[in-house]
Amino acid sequence: MSISLRRLTRCAVLTALALALSVAEGLVPLTIIFPLPGLRLGLANLVTVYALCRLSGREALLILIARCLLGSLLGGNLMALAFSLTGGLLALAVMALLLRLSCLSLFGVSIAGAAAHNTGQILAAMVVLGGTAPLVYLPPLLFCSLVTGAVTGGVSILLVHRVPALGDIKS
Amino acid sequence: MTARSSAADRRRPTPWDFVVALIVAAAAVALLFLLKQESGNFLTATVVLDGETIAQYDLTALTGPVTLEVEDASYPLTIQAEPGRIRILESSCPGLDCVHTGWADRAGQQIICLPNRLVISLEGTSSGDIDAVTG
Repeated sequence: MSISLRRLTRCAVLTALALALSVAEGLVPLTIIFPLPGLRLGLANLVTVYALCRLSGREALLILIARCLLGSLLGGNLMALAFSLTGGLLALAVMALLLRLSCLSLFGVSIAGAAAHNTGQILAAMVVLGGTAPLVYLPPLLFCSLVTGAVTGGVSILLVHRVPALGDIKS
Repeated sequence: MTARSSAADRRRPTPWDFVVALIVAAAAVALLFLLKQESGNFLTATVVLDGETIAQYDLTALTGPVTLEVEDASYPLTIQAEPGRIRILESSCPGLDCVHTGWADRAGQQIICLPNRLVISLEGTSSGDIDAVTG
């Protein structure tokens, strides 16, 4: 299998996985228990963390964009696309930066990623509404991101250590 | 690529993870204080659809329940106001985050229906525009 074909395949598999995770997450919305718009566990972020750790930043970015585009085709609308893209891109940028710091573990990286995702969503909402009204939701969302980020951080540590780098399976 | 595995190879949280968590929590607390509003005796709810104010209720002065049907919105919805509180009773928008938000009864609270670009914001005034109210 040529290198580029292998890269393409693993990106496609991870994109499908991210899509499946976000659909599965939508079936059991956290907002039923805790009514806060925009609150979710962020399982699809696991794929971003894995791609950042085991593939490259470029591939993580491609997977993220493909996931957001396909996700909005599957269930959402154009507005949902704007939200998942701003949140996702901000989270990706923050996590890519923090992963370079050797003093952190994936817990801290995930918490910062979750917080960045929520901030991005609120920023998008402020642009859509043309005002600062959505800012009211940011503090509770940030508190929730401590919990959701720690949960996805714990899972991503397992994931990154248990699942070998995809390139190493064959060789 | 030496940098890419340093944080990824750890299996246990480090003290710096708690620093990150603290920063996030501190940002949340700081925002809470920034957004905190004076809660006065008078509570006013303003309904803004797509940047235009379509209704305003003096919640303190209400004597009974009032409903407002917003037919102009992309997803028609019904707003219900009672003495001291307001909510979105039902909406045809996807997600229904606005309905799930429930009642808002404190100054500074907002109910947002994003698909409709509708915001209900509550403001408190200690004196209000009314000069004298007894009771």
